[in-house]
Amino acid sequence: MKKYSLKKILNDVKKGVRKNFQASLTIIGFFIFWQIIVVFFQIPQFILPSPLDALEHLFIPQESANYSWMLHISTTLYEIALSFIVTATVGILLAIVISWSRLIKDIMMPFFIFINSLPTIAIAPIILLWMGYGIKTNILIAFLVSFFPVVINTIAGLNSVEDDLLDLVRYLHGSKLQIFIKIRIPNSLPYIFSGLKIGSTMCIVGAIVGEFIASDKGLGYIIINSQFTMNTPPIFSALIVISIAGALLYGLVTLLEKLIMPWREIQTTNQ
Amino acid sequence: MLSINKLKKTYTTRDGELEALANVSFDIFPQEFVSIVGPSGCGKTTLLKIIAGLVSKSGGNIDVDKDQFDPSREVGFVFQDSLLLHWRKVLENVLLPIEILKMNKGLYRQQALDLLDLVGLEGFENSYPNELSGGMQQRVSIARALIHDPKLVLMDEPFGALDAITRERMNLELLRIWTESKKTILFITHGINEAIFLSDRIIVLSARPSRMVNVLDINLPRPRVQEVRTSPDFGTYALEIYRSLELI
Repeated sequence: MKKYSLKKILNDVKKGVRKNFQASLTIIGFFIFWQIIVVFFQIPQFILPSPLDALEHLFIPQESANYSWMLHISTTLYEIALSFIVTATVGILLAIVISWSRLIKDIMMPFFIFINSLPTIAIAPIILLWMGYGIKTNILIAFLVSFFPVVINTIAGLNSVEDDLLDLVRYLHGSKLQIFIKIRIPNSLPYIFSGLKIGSTMCIVGAIVGEFIASDKGLGYIIINSQFTMNTPPIFSALIVISIAGALLYGLVTLLEKLIMPWREIQTTNQ
Repeated sequence: MLSINKLKKTYTTRDGELEALANVSFDIFPQEFVSIVGPSGCGKTTLLKIIAGLVSKSGGNIDVDKDQFDPSREVGFVFQDSLLLHWRKVLENVLLPIEILKMNKGLYRQQALDLLDLVGLEGFENSYPNELSGGMQQRVSIARALIHDPKLVLMDEPFGALDAITRERMNLELLRIWTESKKTILFITHGINEAIFLSDRIIVLSARPSRMVNVLDINLPRPRVQEVRTSPDFGTYALEIYRSLELI
């Protein structure tokens, strides 16, 4: 038994390294390709800066640029993190409430579908009008963009329980609450996580869009501001940071998924 | 301990009334092994679910000897599929009924381990269901059905999804479990040989609407061994069931 598990862990590590090695090769290759294209075709910096220019802008303090990267990066990361936590908590709780009774579902679902079909860009100015400039506004915008996939996926998971599995609780006269806690909610975990993965990406979109419209700091603000002054390198610097943040958040959700659902790992290794 | 009288079930469908069970009556006595045999779709599962309180009856009575057992807490159910919760380890799956009945889980831990031992799964308490074969999963579900010490265990074709060889092995195991645990078992199957091998009594149901077409007492010696399958009496019982089902 022990020998088997040790072997398995070693195998997992090997697989992980190989997978990440391939992924990092792809990314490094992409940057090299980008650098070569820019240098080879002598593309002007204001159209497409080379990745080295973009990175240089991040790491070497620019006298001309009147801002600190740390402030903007931390602002955006803070917005993303907070809006993701709010989205996850509120989204899952809403889904449980909605699934609890048919009546609540019939009343609330049309409203959520209505909210969700409003384009964010269109409602952002109104939120700005109500709440003013600032982090809170951006978090609210990010939440509005991203909560829906979490809600929908969680509801799907809560409802995708075989009738026979419910009979298992019912013949012992278990309550609806017990069915939720012992069957429906654990059964919906894989669905919740796929909702959270979509939600995490949407949170980033929401935060950046919020900063476009209603901010005086953050990476979205840098992008918009640099565009006005035709200062392209910081735009790309910001894009690189945003994509790294996105990948990290996605990785965090995936890691959490593996920790919370160890039985899924077993399933995949058996196949 | 259980007396079923003229039990009826009709379903209302789009095309009108569908009679699933018509006038089914029989008694079950303590520590008996009773099987119900009948063709697919004859309402065997419905009958079991009515007894378990999962489906409402349309007519007739189920009389319970209340001194002998409490049907709300003392019934165990083994389903066609093992229906294990794949997010729970084996031990936690076995303890599920204890949680639902809001009994003290700590007190039943040892009982659960003993039951896993009884069904031949010693040492698998910390495995996930995915790690077990189909036969082992069904063993877990049998242990789960026994954990709250039910007097009556209802089994709905529990070995239907297993291959023939595993099934024969599980039949022997089930007889051993039944003897050791002293439960009353009501067992549903469409395997005629399986029913003869296991039972004290067999109730034969016809195709829909199900009527009882025969009740057989099986007087083969116990403990049953595989050799009994080749005995002349075994063949005679089988013939009689074939006749009742109009297969010959």
